Amino acid sequence: MKLLGKSLTELKTLVEKKEVSCEEIFEYFSKRVKKYNNGLNAFLTIQENEVKNTLPVAFKDNFCTKDILTTASSKVLDKYIPPYNATVVERLLNTGYFVQGKTNMDAWAHGASTETSDYGNTKNPWDHARYPGGSSGGSAAAVAAYLTPVAIGSDTGGSIRHPSSWCGVVGLKPTYGRVSRYGVIAMGSSLDCPGPMSLFVEDIALIMQAIAGKDSYDATTASIKVPNYFKSLTQPRKLRIGVPEDYFEGVDEQIKKKVDRCIDRLKKMGHEIKKVKLLSPKYAISVYTILQRAEVSSNLARYDGIRYGNDRTYFGEEAKRRIMLGTYVLSHGYYDAYYKNAQTVRTVIIEDFKRVFKDVDIVVGPNTPVTALKIGEFAKYPFFGELMDQLNEPASVAGIPALSVPVGLDKNNLPIGMQIIGNYFDEETILNAAYQIQKETDYFGVTKKNLEKYPD
Amino acid sequence: MKNKSSLLKKDILHLAKLANLKLSGVEITKYEKQFKQTLDYIDNLDKLKTDKIPTTDHVVNLTNVTFDDGKPNVRGLTQEQALTNTKKKGRGYFVVPKVL
Repeated sequence: MKLLGKSLTELKTLVEKKEVSCEEIFEYFSKRVKKYNNGLNAFLTIQENEVKNTLPVAFKDNFCTKDILTTASSKVLDKYIPPYNATVVERLLNTGYFVQGKTNMDAWAHGASTETSDYGNTKNPWDHARYPGGSSGGSAAAVAAYLTPVAIGSDTGGSIRHPSSWCGVVGLKPTYGRVSRYGVIAMGSSLDCPGPMSLFVEDIALIMQAIAGKDSYDATTASIKVPNYFKSLTQPRKLRIGVPEDYFEGVDEQIKKKVDRCIDRLKKMGHEIKKVKLLSPKYAISVYTILQRAEVSSNLARYDGIRYGNDRTYFGEEAKRRIMLGTYVLSHGYYDAYYKNAQTVRTVIIEDFKRVFKDVDIVVGPNTPVTALKIGEFAKYPFFGELMDQLNEPASVAGIPALSVPVGLDKNNLPIGMQIIGNYFDEETILNAAYQIQKETDYFGVTKKNLEKYPD
Repeated sequence: MKNKSSLLKKDILHLAKLANLKLSGVEITKYEKQFKQTLDYIDNLDKLKTDKIPTTDHVVNLTNVTFDDGKPNVRGLTQEQALTNTKKKGRGYFVVPKVL
């Protein structure tokens, strides 16, 4: 049977109907990884042996996987073999999946390029001379080239949505506290959100069903009931969709055009489009920068080479820069001016979103200001990562869910993403909207074109 | 409030000491410039009026979440497991550099 481009949901059904075996699926993806991973450097570690009667899911290398190398793409953790599984891993192992492999990322998830990895850059599957985005760049590339049906990423300030956009895949950052962070190598503890990436929205729903919900090992997870995400996909809903003008400022014309085209289609489908006023993303960038650096400095303080890993001389330039700035904004005499001030503006951003979500069900806009940059180009952008994530950081700071879907290609044949932002714990509405777009537009041919580049 | 937006070489060396990092001369010069750029940018927060606004400590406002007393910690590590990744151990303990 031809398996290329089948969703995880379809694969699961085929296995249940005994039309294909888990063994065949394992062999199939192993073969594809062998064929394409050398060129892409999407996987750092690969499971060589079949795990009977289970389906493959790839994990970003900052998820602790018992007895499987976990480095967060940093030499500090060069040989680290976790003695336990992250909750997300554990829950997927318990629902019929196995760890297919561990994917490359920016070291410690710091960046939007995957070039700060100590194990080499991941290449963008659409153009190997370009970045896949980041920090979950390996996960996005593995999904785009169909080396895996689903990859798990983590999103602190856009790390799922940004590479999803640059690689032309679907990626969801859930509400903060919807998915457990236990066993995820901590970066920004008040911001980190694990989430799924796939070519298809139904897989996002399928995986969310397995991983969402209260975890007694992560005190920041909420007890709110997990809805039936799969069911919510197909409900015929007409939505009120907000479009914030400020999110289009400074965005490449081609991206604006393709996002507008998708918004027009949504209008034709009978959804109500409303202009909304949201605080300029430039404030969220500042809040994010302060909080994230502060939390990084605190989280990375534990790496002393005593209990595990190498000592602090192994930190790369980016990690050191972030630790230093975080130490500064938390230091005596500056705490109020920076950290406390940022926590106050965080309230302003939250209230701003809450006000808008009284009038609309979702907010849509561009996801990145430009499409995938050429490898080496990031160095030209001062203060680079943050400005690349300017459209992602407001939702991160507020802790609300947001998803990226492909809405077309630019003139260089590079994918363009659109972001769908929802209210707290309302992943259902986002998934419903994304599924409607998938059904109606087939992502404007992006997925099809993508798969043609990577034949069996 | 102390003067914001300027970090001199001596400040950077002090921060490096606090963060237990060793920096090269090149790194110090580079960071001096880059920090200024970042700090200048984030100063935009001062333009917003936030006098009477409370801080956000948790985005969905969970409070006092505790682990149930007496509930078994099924995911705790054994002493042996906890020691599997260390380079130096002795008699079932981590060996740390001398501090006194």
